[in-house]
Amino acid sequence: MTSLELRNVSKGFKSGKVLEDVSLSVNAGEIVVVFGPSGTGKTVLLRIVAGVQDPDTGSVAIDGEDVTDASPEARNVGMAFQNFALFPHFSTFDNIASPLAARETPAAKLKDQVGAIARMLKIDHVLGHAPRELSNGQKQRTALARALVAQPKVLLLDDPLRNVDAKLRYEMRLELPRLLRTFNAAVIYVTQDYKEAMALGDHIAVLRNGRIEQWAAPTTVYREPVSVEVARLFGDPTINLLPCKLEGDHVTLFGRLVPISGAYAHAAGRDLIAGLRPEHVVVTEAEAPGAIAFELDAVMPVNVRSVLYLRGAGGEELLATVGESEAAKFGRGHRKVWVRFDPRDLLLFDATSGQRIAPQVH
Amino acid sequence: MAQLLLDSVSKTYRPRGKEPVQAVKRVSLDVKDGEIVALLGSSGCGKTSMLRMIAGFEDVTEGAIRIGGREIHLLPPAQRDVAMAFEGYSLYPPLKVRENIGFALLRERGASADIEKRVTHIADLLEITDILDRYPTVISAGQQQRTSLARALIRRAPVSLLDEPMSQLEPQLRAILRARLKDYLIEHKMTTVFVTHDQTEAIALADRIAVMEKGELQQFGTPAEIKQSPSNLFVASFIGEPPMNIFDAAIASEAGATAISGLGPNGQPAFRIQAPAAEAGNAARVRLGIRPHLIEIGANESADATGKVITNHWLGDQSHICFEIGGCSVVGVTDKPIEAQAGDALPVRFPLGAVHLFDAESGRALAHGLGRRS
Repeated sequence: MTSLELRNVSKGFKSGKVLEDVSLSVNAGEIVVVFGPSGTGKTVLLRIVAGVQDPDTGSVAIDGEDVTDASPEARNVGMAFQNFALFPHFSTFDNIASPLAARETPAAKLKDQVGAIARMLKIDHVLGHAPRELSNGQKQRTALARALVAQPKVLLLDDPLRNVDAKLRYEMRLELPRLLRTFNAAVIYVTQDYKEAMALGDHIAVLRNGRIEQWAAPTTVYREPVSVEVARLFGDPTINLLPCKLEGDHVTLFGRLVPISGAYAHAAGRDLIAGLRPEHVVVTEAEAPGAIAFELDAVMPVNVRSVLYLRGAGGEELLATVGESEAAKFGRGHRKVWVRFDPRDLLLFDATSGQRIAPQVH
Repeated sequence: MAQLLLDSVSKTYRPRGKEPVQAVKRVSLDVKDGEIVALLGSSGCGKTSMLRMIAGFEDVTEGAIRIGGREIHLLPPAQRDVAMAFEGYSLYPPLKVRENIGFALLRERGASADIEKRVTHIADLLEITDILDRYPTVISAGQQQRTSLARALIRRAPVSLLDEPMSQLEPQLRAILRARLKDYLIEHKMTTVFVTHDQTEAIALADRIAVMEKGELQQFGTPAEIKQSPSNLFVASFIGEPPMNIFDAAIASEAGATAISGLGPNGQPAFRIQAPAAEAGNAARVRLGIRPHLIEIGANESADATGKVITNHWLGDQSHICFEIGGCSVVGVTDKPIEAQAGDALPVRFPLGAVHLFDAESGRALAHGLGRRS
């Protein structure tokens, strides 16, 4: 059941439009990730849902009821921020209890509820501490506990893991889905980290320049990005982008004719950008049929894999990811290697609009 | 370019009215001619103090530093043959980006056409060509950082020192700029020492990594050595993303073989691994480590345990699975998607070759790999 629905929300400030015609819906128990670079209107969107800011046009409904004009307190929305925003003179307990205290919850019930959520978030041992005595990880858990304690119907998380170290961020990425599931709230989760977006989101809304550029499941955003920009935002290393032109049934890449499926025939004659993910590039020491000669200029290990920095005969740059054991044989680089890829792995974009060209199946 | 030697270097700060702080403790490093070395550690580990001692912005309390055989630690910075890119950028505000980058070459009275060519080249490499005629105050922090980096790299000094060279980079540019930087350093055979708190940056760029903690050198080795044979628990858990799984474990000898039990949070056995012989000395209690990508998940006849899936995240090119075995939370990474949902049971195997053992008290490594299963 839809718990939160935004319809055609727009918002502008003196400096210009921040949100344009944004619609999205979140079911109870679902996490929708709002993903985008900084300055794309993510935080304004959350503020409008929370009721701290009014939209210029459009509406917000919670559980089917229009709350566009309702006060923040009347909305049953919990919120946690990247800078934690804890009350510095309150203990952990009082910080977590503040939404309940504001509702004049009886003391015994308040104590039970704070205790339960603190145990769940593993901060029950620091309930008497002031915020300045907490580690960043504990501050962030306190902020989460405060957002969750009143069992809100809608939970807004504004990049909550931004300011905790990499290890804690990773642990929370694993822990959050299970935690959030127990609350059955409709969650909007804002982040700039694509891995966090893919790990946590049931759906992702990619926000760019105030508009939702793509709304899809995580794997769809990765496999079928709607535009060059979305393709660039998802994936590490960043997708290789190769300008080319579709002539008949082929494009020319690295001085070679590369066959393109007939499903793209409608784009013939157009200037394109071909996107090739680094994990789809195969690199070998020995010449293989159809392989193209490249100079391997640097080998960069990343965890269990290595990124190879390749340059073609015409100076084209190409990044490839290969397994750790494979990478070992390339040493420090500066040698000739052979490159292959499957043309079916190419993503084709219009060079002018940046929009992906969808294959037409007959 | 030149070899750099740190011979038992220490640094003690003596703040007035406070206890002295020993920031660097007898660190010796041998950076070969043309080698790229990372100083890696969290904040306060002493890595930046080391870089500043090499550059000449901090006195060396004890020990010696040599570049190309010449003792330099008593010389003023300008006479040390080093170029440095600062974390705070330190650009000259009245000079354009172009002039900032070419400053050192202009001062050395190089031919202007040659300087122009080198400025253009390094600016292309770092994607700052379009801001060459702007002033430092009107460009972004990331662009200032790349300008500072360009100003150090263009000199091709005998030793280049880079302090957090790429911390401000937008993620979409990170891989390609690291690649070009590494290529440039190798092509010009530049002896380079860079400081970073980011283990992925250290692994990607460095020939060897010096892992620092509390002023002490924990390990100095190639990325592969540090990943495969971490000298202690600190190094093991600092390197790797996601971090190494680490459990308390008990060891017992049984009929010529060794049984290692991973222990859950209350000390109860969670899983068992059989190894051919005791290789961990006489320790009864150890810490057991295994990297997430080396755990075998899915159909396997010789599974060590059954894991209950907690989360299963596909990230486009890899899966991160968190599962629970007898109260232990375990993370695994695979290249292929795994069809499993929260609550499903999956067979899990810990290959012996991938198991690390550490002393439970000191954290010192006892064994890397336990030989083959007979």
